[in-house]
Amino acid sequence: MPFLRRLLIVEWSGLAVAIVLGSVLLAVLTPNFMTEYNIYVMLRSFCVGLLVGFAQMVTLGVGQMNISVGAIGGLVAISFGGMMEALGVPLVLAVPLAIAIGALCGLINGVLTARTGINGFIITLATASAFTGINLGITEAIPFYNMPAALVAFGDERFFAFPYLLIAPIIVTALLMLFFARTVPGRQLLAVGGNPHAADLSGISRERTIVLAHVLSGGLAAIAAVLAVAQLGSAQPSIGADWLLLSFAAPIIGGAALTGGYVSVVGTTLAVILIALIENGMVLANVDPYWVQFLLGALILAAVWLNRWRAVKTGTD
Amino acid sequence: MTSVNRSGFPAAIGVFAIAATALATGALASDNKIALIPGGPHPYFAPWEQAAADAQKDFDIAAVDFKVPAEWKLNLQTELLESLAAQGYSAFGIFPGDSVGINSTVTELQSAGLPSAALAGCAQDPTDMAFCLGTDVYNSAYIGTKELIKAMGGKGNIVHLAGLLVDPNTTLRVKAVETAVEETNGEVTLLQTVADTDAQEAADQKISALLAAQKDEIGGMIATGYIPSVVASKLLRTLGDKRIKFIGIDDDQIVLKAIEDGFVAGTMAQNPYGQGYIGAYALDLLASGDCTMKEDAPWIETPQTARFIDSGTMVINLDNIASYKDDLKAITADIQGKFKDTYMTCS
Repeated sequence: MPFLRRLLIVEWSGLAVAIVLGSVLLAVLTPNFMTEYNIYVMLRSFCVGLLVGFAQMVTLGVGQMNISVGAIGGLVAISFGGMMEALGVPLVLAVPLAIAIGALCGLINGVLTARTGINGFIITLATASAFTGINLGITEAIPFYNMPAALVAFGDERFFAFPYLLIAPIIVTALLMLFFARTVPGRQLLAVGGNPHAADLSGISRERTIVLAHVLSGGLAAIAAVLAVAQLGSAQPSIGADWLLLSFAAPIIGGAALTGGYVSVVGTTLAVILIALIENGMVLANVDPYWVQFLLGALILAAVWLNRWRAVKTGTD
Repeated sequence: MTSVNRSGFPAAIGVFAIAATALATGALASDNKIALIPGGPHPYFAPWEQAAADAQKDFDIAAVDFKVPAEWKLNLQTELLESLAAQGYSAFGIFPGDSVGINSTVTELQSAGLPSAALAGCAQDPTDMAFCLGTDVYNSAYIGTKELIKAMGGKGNIVHLAGLLVDPNTTLRVKAVETAVEETNGEVTLLQTVADTDAQEAADQKISALLAAQKDEIGGMIATGYIPSVVASKLLRTLGDKRIKFIGIDDDQIVLKAIEDGFVAGTMAQNPYGQGYIGAYALDLLASGDCTMKEDAPWIETPQTARFIDSGTMVINLDNIASYKDDLKAITADIQGKFKDTYMTCS
């Protein structure tokens, strides 16, 4: 069957099959799975996670890691909330300023990594601590509560099952696909990640490309933080604290190479959908709370194995 | 026609009692330096800063300082303790982020003549903590569940939103909720326990999924952790659902506003201010060397420690939302006023 063969060759088809199988299973087992409200809940919970995955994906693409993704998210979240509550900055101005703060954090990461020659893992490990320290120094662990009504409504409201919050991830996903597939900086980023020496010989500035990847990563983490504030209705200093694992899990399950040079926007998206589906399914299925962590790990492993099996069988390994 | 506002009365008594004690102890100025140290940054401990300042002033202590470790890590807390001991601090009120791991440092401090007490949460026995002053978590969850069942009219299905599963207090809370449900003889059913909801985003995702799956079957929810309490309050407001009765914990602004607007039936108040204030008072007496803890005091025995003192708990609902802080101050004044005679032997 050429159609099935063509489908299986696509790198993310294993994830897509796992999502379809999981959805069918949950729809059969739990009647509430396919309700409009539950679909809304899953789509809403997927928004922040997707951007967190993308924030790590762009640094993986260039062969780097960004350990400070969550710390940037936390700092941006409280800066965003603080500038609106304490300084009275209007929402339309606060959003671009918040994204600029995230990009600035990324710029610091990028410049330090590129100029010192120290591995980005070490640099971002240190800056993660610094960014978290600024967050706690400003807030003393007390959230900013008084967010504009328009922002909170954006985080909560929906059109049938479609949360308005999803608009931002859809736009970002489309722009990232375009960036990596069609733009010169996007191709250069993957070229540097794939073979830095060859990229040097081709006249691509390795330093500039590394800085660009970190700035993008910071900006994406910042958008995730703004969405998290909208979703939670307050700017909590703890935003971002548990992003690190997801930030690596999503792009890697989605097919990104840890050594750089290859990323998959669609694969990362499907990986985040899969994780959201598993987490949602375990609540719906009333899984014993003491076994939730085990099942989450086992199901993710099963999905990764399915994709690996597909790659071996189709010769795209 | 004028009416008498009686809600301020307990507060007046509380303030008077605190002031009277302060005057009585004011003559005994102390040169002790006391540190109140939470496990890490968390809004629950914010009242400790004011409690430290008030205790320093009221009991004429040389210094009572609120010192927060940079992160929720045992090594950061113990490094802070050792650093403060080196700087001349004479006693420590500690929230043990790690109830077992903290004990070696507490023993080290005790051997240097520096007493410690566990505040807001207990260290695991055997420990050199002089005492543990905190919320009786079992009792709080039990009373909260009873309150929830009352708000539901004595029957229906409930869900328990619990905190970290690795926290031994979570096990106690789970048992307390189950016991309160069992006592209804089948009128109330515990549908589900959703745990590990101590991070904002995880709590939002799990509680949203729960409401999506079982909104119509759920008659009530009880949260026994700070974060799920805040998140569930916000989600019930978003849903616009006043049918599901909800009892939270602690007095975060989001929860209190939801009570005022009818989306939350009540919340179980803890007494962080009292824990810091009474803790500093007792530690000052211990550090002075004039007092020791009584062996035969009316200690409450818990699975963690044989020297537990309940810092007080109460339900905040629409009836007392305006006055609950005064009520907690009255509870604080009462415990502090009796503390020395009840729990200590002083020369």
